[in-house]
Amino acid sequence: MKKLFYILIACFFLASCDDFDEDINVNPNRPSDATAMQLIGNSQLSLPGLSSSPNGEFLAQYLSETQYVNASLYPVTSTSFYSLYQGPLMNLEYVLTRPELVKEKDGPAANQLAVAKIMKAYYFWHITDRWGDVPFAEALQGTENLTPKYDTQEAIYNAMFALLKEANSQIVAGSISGDIMYNGDMEKWRKLANTLRMLMALRLSEVNAAKAQEEFNQALSAGIMASNADNFIFKHQANADNQNYWYGQIDPNGLGREWWALSQTLVENMKPYNDPRLPVYGNPTRATGEYVGLPSGETKDMDTEKYSLLGNAIWKQDAPVYLVTYAEALFAKAEAAKRGWISGGETEAEANYTMAIRQSMAQWVGNAAAADAFLMEPGIAYTPANGLEQIATQRWVHLFMHGYEAWAEWRRTGYPDNLIAPNGVNVPTRQIYVETEKFNNTENYNEAVQRQFGGDDGLYGKLWWDK
Amino acid sequence: MRKNYLSLLLLLVACCCGTAFAQQLTISGKVTGAEDNFALPGVSVIVKGTTTGVTTGADGMYQINVPNAEATLLFRFLGYAPKEVQVGNQNVINVQLNADNKQLQEVVVTALGIERSERSLGYATQQVEGENLTLTKEQNVIGSLAGKVAGVQITGSSGASMGGTQKIKIRGVNSLNGEDEPLIVVDGTPISNANFAESAGVDYGNLAQDINPEDVESINVLKGPAASALYGIRGQYGVIMITTKKGSRGQKNITVQLNSAVSVERVGNLMPYQNMYGGGSSQTWRTLANGEKYVDMQVDESWGPKMDGTMVRQIFSFYPQDPEYGKLTPFVPHPDNIKDYYETGYNINNGVTISGGNEGTNFRLSLNDTRIEGVEPNTWLDRNNLGLSLGTDIAKNLTATANLTYAYTNAQRPGQGSEDGSRYLGQWFQRSLDLKRLENYQYPDGTYLHWNLRRSYASSGTLSNFTPLYWNNPYFEAYENTSNDRRDRLFGNVGLSYTVLEGLKVSGFIRSDMYTQSIESRTAFGGKDLPRYYVGKFQNREFNYEFLGQYNKTFGDFSLNANVGANLFDRRYTYLSQNTEGGLTAEGFYNIDASIDRPTTNSYLLRKELRSMYAMASVGYKDTYFIDASIRNDRSSALPKNNNSYWYPSVSASMVFSELIGWTPLSFGKVRVSYAQAGSDLDVYSTSATYQVGTVYSGPQTVNTLYVPDVLNNPDIKPSFAHSYEAGLDLRFLNGRLGLDLTYYKQRNKNQIIELDVSGTSGYSSAIINAGLIENKGIEAVLSATPVQTENFSWNSVFNLSRNRNKIVELYPGVDVLTHGTAYYSSTYSYLNSYSGKAYGSLIGQAYQRDEATGKILLDSNNLPLYTSATHDFGTVLPDMTGGMQNTFNYKNFSLSAMIDYQVGGQFFSRSKMLAVRTGLDPLTVEMNDNGKNVRDPLSEGGGVKVEGISAETGAEVTAYVDPQRYYGVAARRIYEDWLYDASYVKLREARLGYTFSKSEMSWLPVKSANLAIIARNPLMIWQDAPKGLDPSELSTGSQAIGWYESGQLPTVRSYGINLNVTF
Repeated sequence: MKKLFYILIACFFLASCDDFDEDINVNPNRPSDATAMQLIGNSQLSLPGLSSSPNGEFLAQYLSETQYVNASLYPVTSTSFYSLYQGPLMNLEYVLTRPELVKEKDGPAANQLAVAKIMKAYYFWHITDRWGDVPFAEALQGTENLTPKYDTQEAIYNAMFALLKEANSQIVAGSISGDIMYNGDMEKWRKLANTLRMLMALRLSEVNAAKAQEEFNQALSAGIMASNADNFIFKHQANADNQNYWYGQIDPNGLGREWWALSQTLVENMKPYNDPRLPVYGNPTRATGEYVGLPSGETKDMDTEKYSLLGNAIWKQDAPVYLVTYAEALFAKAEAAKRGWISGGETEAEANYTMAIRQSMAQWVGNAAAADAFLMEPGIAYTPANGLEQIATQRWVHLFMHGYEAWAEWRRTGYPDNLIAPNGVNVPTRQIYVETEKFNNTENYNEAVQRQFGGDDGLYGKLWWDK
Repeated sequence: MRKNYLSLLLLLVACCCGTAFAQQLTISGKVTGAEDNFALPGVSVIVKGTTTGVTTGADGMYQINVPNAEATLLFRFLGYAPKEVQVGNQNVINVQLNADNKQLQEVVVTALGIERSERSLGYATQQVEGENLTLTKEQNVIGSLAGKVAGVQITGSSGASMGGTQKIKIRGVNSLNGEDEPLIVVDGTPISNANFAESAGVDYGNLAQDINPEDVESINVLKGPAASALYGIRGQYGVIMITTKKGSRGQKNITVQLNSAVSVERVGNLMPYQNMYGGGSSQTWRTLANGEKYVDMQVDESWGPKMDGTMVRQIFSFYPQDPEYGKLTPFVPHPDNIKDYYETGYNINNGVTISGGNEGTNFRLSLNDTRIEGVEPNTWLDRNNLGLSLGTDIAKNLTATANLTYAYTNAQRPGQGSEDGSRYLGQWFQRSLDLKRLENYQYPDGTYLHWNLRRSYASSGTLSNFTPLYWNNPYFEAYENTSNDRRDRLFGNVGLSYTVLEGLKVSGFIRSDMYTQSIESRTAFGGKDLPRYYVGKFQNREFNYEFLGQYNKTFGDFSLNANVGANLFDRRYTYLSQNTEGGLTAEGFYNIDASIDRPTTNSYLLRKELRSMYAMASVGYKDTYFIDASIRNDRSSALPKNNNSYWYPSVSASMVFSELIGWTPLSFGKVRVSYAQAGSDLDVYSTSATYQVGTVYSGPQTVNTLYVPDVLNNPDIKPSFAHSYEAGLDLRFLNGRLGLDLTYYKQRNKNQIIELDVSGTSGYSSAIINAGLIENKGIEAVLSATPVQTENFSWNSVFNLSRNRNKIVELYPGVDVLTHGTAYYSSTYSYLNSYSGKAYGSLIGQAYQRDEATGKILLDSNNLPLYTSATHDFGTVLPDMTGGMQNTFNYKNFSLSAMIDYQVGGQFFSRSKMLAVRTGLDPLTVEMNDNGKNVRDPLSEGGGVKVEGISAETGAEVTAYVDPQRYYGVAARRIYEDWLYDASYVKLREARLGYTFSKSEMSWLPVKSANLAIIARNPLMIWQDAPKGLDPSELSTGSQAIGWYESGQLPTVRSYGINLNVTF
């Protein structure tokens, strides 16, 4: 009996020594595997966020605040770029660095990788134009490098050009599946890559015109967007999961916030010319039925009855978000012709300007012919003497609601010239790095701030291309 | 796999039964004091040389089984000389014990439930008796420990949550994430103390509240690794050992106890508010087209016109259904409008216990019913506890035991934190609103009455939109947007123990903790938010299969206590929660089926196992010198497969030096030292990489997206280790009239498992790493005294104090800041950070910019203060000292007890106070300036807030008067410096005045004893440094690990009642 007892004790101890079930620490609540296209798809879900941001609209002075006036007064606060790195860019990095994720069943591997490169370049373009130098080459490496160095904006532009060039040249026949943006149409991706490269090149007009011209022409000849059908648009859906950001904010079933009115700056640039886009951009006031803009940063008289609130079509649940458009490409060509980067001179400039406005009308009001009368308006009809200003101003009107991009172009060109300094505060020329970088990436942060802005991480430092 | 262990264990124990053929005797008797011949309850009766033991019941009776006539019974009781009696041929052994304070001997429950005499321990333990936990019928056992144990800090929450969170920290913060909660063990069964609350919202409280305080015999706190090393990977943060009451054996006796308490609860400590200016953003009246003045219903602040009785259109006059529709009413203050919102709460608690036993059996059955009506409208809680404790000899030398507790909680609780529920009333509100007028929140036609609506355009005087803007009517919140929680819980153990031979006992236990927590919440039609329904069901099932062998033997002057054991821990936790999306299809139909869009569903499974083996031995010499050593091995399934086994050792020594020096005034003196290691585990599934499921996009094709998580898992993670050193001195003077226990400790917690915030540019927000060294050093002192003891009057006092110094020695190479908490409000950040080289938990926020030379604040061109970025370090939130004092006075049949607890130091941000000032609710916004004018008076007439500082532009000294709305728009929004408060306090937490009826008074009743008492919980905050309206002792809000950011704290609840105890 005693023996049995000791044997049992021994068994108990031994039993407690054998291994755990093989899968006990495998997380059943999360998938262990992913495909490149699932990750790319997720990265695409973040695209509308590059445009749908109140802060972007305030920086471009498209919208004014009717409540809690704060952000449109450009307070000195930092803005985070972390979610862009952690979210879409990290997904894309996985696709680009882990070949085992790329499944041929979703289409040619080269095409999946090309899409990842184009999107990576697009996201970084957005980031560097808001903050300046940011981590690029050493970024997105996880434990390999928890404190990435900041690359210069120039280096980032060069890297983006390279990415887009590679993407253009590696695209092969065959569509890909699981693509939210272009439904797998690789020709559209190719055109997007080249259009992006062209628009990026234009951004360098003031800092390195020769390089800008060279990249611009290479991109152009590689084949850019040729119609509004090529537009890079995020198509929101009429359901809660994929709805337009503004719908959730404004719709009475959502937050019901009547917080945004068209800015006076915008209305001034549209109403005098009977711009057919104005009734789409905004609603007539409830008080008078007129279109009235609210001056940016107004803190006293901001009754929502008296001003044009954001247009219903802009914030409906499935309202699309226009990210890169054919009209933008045409405005870029018009400017390039005006600058003599491409041939054709003023004639070419005017032709592209006119065409751009027609495409913009088609995009916003669904009817290119709506531009006919508009193009006759004095001040709108192309005049070579004011060419650059007209192109830039009409580009700004066209880029409505894509605030960050419009703000970048305003910084580059200075147009439109009726942006105001609300409450005496000038429109910022960059955004302040996320505060936690001071703690988490101290050395590199300090170096980047010193290098660019002499140590002052403020709202008015000038980016490399902003001369 | 698990089943195998179960059957193995049963087999093991069954096999032991087979050997149970030895003769066994049952002895019973009564223990009395030699001086007065009164029965002595709680005397430990042990079969010498074994671990078999019982304690005497309330009547001094005991019953015990002894192996044979040669056995010797050892009777021990605190303050009495132990007595040994050989059984011989006696069946009844009545014993008289002589008082002898020299022999202060107490049997305490140590790790794994091993009972040891206190004198042999080489580390500090502090025991709290059950009667001290139920002084005033506090419902949460953890909360009732407040101030009673040196080195244990309890941070509670308002009684308005009815069983809200009580956080417990032992000897400072020992983990970098602040989540260093001790293990809770009830009769040897580890139970969950999880918390389903978030930092804002409904506070469901910590799960240890399922323990019925009436069932608790005593609580022994193992303060850190020295005492808890035998819990290995679960013992790093100490253990709360709870022993429940058991029935006593003996001649057949049954005791029935009834326990009833009824308390009335009222809110106290409300913030002061101003009653001069009403709702609005300007002192100028808004007017309708017809010239009538109206109160701006769009503004949730009180910067409006003076409440001087002006006839105006108030919100009610805009509702066509309202009798005052279109009417003008006087604009007057409602000073009690927030106070009026709270109701009188009731707390009714009834319990009955039946306990007793016979020669071979003891049992105790308890039933408790608690009903609470909360102070917030439409909140309540019902709880039922059922406890059963059984012990029976099923054969000679073989005893079966079972301890089972069932608890059922069903509650509807208020929201708390930030602007949840009614909490906005003190943050964004109109002082001019009559809350009584809002109480009938629905008109007969179904329209809801709200006060915060979009402003009508001045032309018509008719509102077009009755959907509330920022805030719902608080009564609508209370009655329509309800939140319910329900929990069924069963925990306990069944065990068999077998005395193999004299001194050797083996036991096997199956221990379990199971609960199902349901939570649902409703967002109704007619409020500001989209209607919604949420329901979640959380199920936890934990089993511990335990084997323990205990051996006790005395060899001449040497005594040996040796234990060896093994434990298997198996946990399975699942939940399923669902949330409607896009609104509900039918009003009043709260069901996931009513979701307009596809509902969000989360399902989750967690599995975890721990396999442990342990051994410990204690050797004593002449009952004077003791040395202990223990070792435990743990293997955790949460750790990397190839590296999941770790060892946790401890050693300790003690010497009862009073035996050696023989100095009469010193009744007892002991020195002790110990060293130990214990650890803590990490969350499951943290070692391997996964993806997360993203939103599904249904376009031309349905795209199911996945994404890379933001937290970087670590395949090389190790458990964290604490190394603890402790030394102490226990002294008793003058036959125990005066006692002093002193402890010095140092605990170094290495290799913390933390989610280190990293630069997001790495692709991750945080990485799970082993890093850091956090050190706590401190002293604890417990002073107990009986200053007065006469025939009719006695005064007992226990005072305890602990001082802890915390230091983050290092974080991670290259990282010297760790962020524990971030608050972002009104575009302003504040943080709780830790820095290497400093104490844990620095408050970081925006401070005034100051002139370096003079320290005066810098002003901008508008004479508004300039402020720093959110990088100013205001210092640690940790207190310098905590403790408590309990005094008990007995005069004849009266007994008065008062429990005071205190904290010195520590601090917190108060967003409630900040907002009250910013929105013009606080009296500060109507105070007189030194011109003798109200600060709200026009600047031209001498009004305005006086601002003194230095102009940042010119460097000149400035004294100016600034419009208060503008001034506090900066100072009470951007600058946290003024809204930072010291958390020091002295609080009378519990008071009880009881009367015990004497036998003669009750001779006509079939009652053994009865006690009637007046009880008060939280009757008085004796002193606090923070302003009125904030309670520094109730900063715990749900899951917030460390209370640092007060926002929308529920008001303090004061409770007064009567308590009747009757024993039959």
